[in-house]
Amino acid sequence: MPTPLAEATRNKIETDSAIADVASRLDQQPAITSTESFGFFLFRSLREMTNIKFALASFVVNNLRRRYRRSVLGFAWSLLNPILTMCVMTAVFSILFKQNPKDFGVYVFTGLLPWSFFCESVVAGSGSLTGAESYLKKVYIPKLFFPMVTVATEAVNFASSIFALILLAAVAGFHFTWTCVLVLPITALLFAFTYCCALFCSIATVYFRDFAHILRVGLGAVFYTVPIVYPVAMIPADYRWFYAYHPMARFVELYRLAICEGQIPSLEVWASPLVVTVVAFLLSFALLKKTERDIIFRL
Amino acid sequence: MDALIEIKNATLRFRIYRNRTPALKEAVIRVLSPKKTASEEVIEFNALQNLNLSIKGGDRLGIIGLNGAGKSTLLKMIVGIYPPQHGSVHVKGKVTPLIELGTGFDHELSGRENIYLNGALLGRSFKQMRSLEEAIIDFSGLEDKIDMPIKYYSSGMLGRLAFSIGTIMEPEILLVDEVFSTGDAQFVEKARNRMDHLISKSSIVVIVSHSMDHIVHFCNKVVVLNKGAVVAEGDPEEMVEYYRQNIANVGAAPAPYKPASPQPALTT
Repeated sequence: MPTPLAEATRNKIETDSAIADVASRLDQQPAITSTESFGFFLFRSLREMTNIKFALASFVVNNLRRRYRRSVLGFAWSLLNPILTMCVMTAVFSILFKQNPKDFGVYVFTGLLPWSFFCESVVAGSGSLTGAESYLKKVYIPKLFFPMVTVATEAVNFASSIFALILLAAVAGFHFTWTCVLVLPITALLFAFTYCCALFCSIATVYFRDFAHILRVGLGAVFYTVPIVYPVAMIPADYRWFYAYHPMARFVELYRLAICEGQIPSLEVWASPLVVTVVAFLLSFALLKKTERDIIFRL
Repeated sequence: MDALIEIKNATLRFRIYRNRTPALKEAVIRVLSPKKTASEEVIEFNALQNLNLSIKGGDRLGIIGLNGAGKSTLLKMIVGIYPPQHGSVHVKGKVTPLIELGTGFDHELSGRENIYLNGALLGRSFKQMRSLEEAIIDFSGLEDKIDMPIKYYSSGMLGRLAFSIGTIMEPEILLVDEVFSTGDAQFVEKARNRMDHLISKSSIVVIVSHSMDHIVHFCNKVVVLNKGAVVAEGDPEEMVEYYRQNIANVGAAPAPYKPASPQPALTT
């Protein structure tokens, strides 16, 4: 019968050795540990991600630099571009639909900007692993790095577009409330969701190269199911339940409530995006765990 | 911390798709039709077979073998690029691979920007790169062209820049794949001194080379690889002799060992 003290000591020794074990496993080259739990895998992925944050920043900055290199206005284009596009589209649409340009413009773009961020990220992200073959075969970089570069680059564009929208609307005399601040947590959630989708699609494309093309068409179809250029009120009441579950429709609603309506979105609106993000996270990381050691042989 | 590389029973299998990449269509067909279609033309071969290696602090291991014997693949497995399908690879210590110099060079960007980009890919932090930047530029001898896009560099200049970035830090574990000379005569001399210095400072060095002189000069232990398997292991002189007689010279084997100058492993 062990005494409580001996028991405690033994527990302590076991915990210590468990910690030492985790530490020693982390010191190894990451891709080489073969059997690990899902929790440990997530922990290791997070650690790998923080280890390469400088590489991430370099890639994102260089992507942006390359885009505006040798143009006279340089980075100003990242703000000018969305401003000009929005002006043109608002003018066209408000004439076409005979709407008040100010309200209509803000309504459309609070929907269109998050959607384009999601769509562009997933489409570009789906090719991010296959496109990174030359890197992956020459240096060790965790697989989750490349989709992150794509989504982070798009996120910078998205942020400047949202900023441009708020700037433009303010100049046009649109009335804002403090709830605009909620754009930050909403965007964080959208970023997480988008990244998980991009990661999943990038792996799927490694195994099925056609996936990227199917995806593009599929997303084109999904666009019309999101109430961006039409209000949900236009939809017959019988079908409206669909929009309560549609994650992108709910994301768009979150942005609209925060920016246009000046309301704090209720939990009901948050539900679908939150659940879908968790599901996307689990699915994409489970897929990554399963394929991580095989991807390099399939490129 | 003592550096260590422990490879146990490692088998690395490559899969080669002959004329097509795996497509969704074929996966669908395979699911729908009960008969296995022979459409998937895949060749599998073992690049490394049942490899056992134990490299400890202080070891200078040379790897010799014919082209395609799996030498570079072995280095890439140690780096973690190729995880083995069977067996295990255990590496303790910070690995600096001098395998493919200049990975991730972006030709639109300036030399200076590429120093940061390449350093980031080698796992360095921003702070480290900022403190190393001057030393790298200085060693490369490209002071006056460093802010120019590297697409205007000559291949020799690119090689000098890549070499300078790759070799700026003293590693714990150094993996070298035929990186002994880059650039003009003046630089080659400098590069050789730097390599000598790095090799003497590293805890573990693994060298892949076709130059037997280099192998005998640097290594205290040599492994002979043939078709992905270790066929002999031991003292450098003996192993080089063994390799020359039994592998490099055997009947239909490709051209025997020639003391040609090794190519810089530069990628653009």
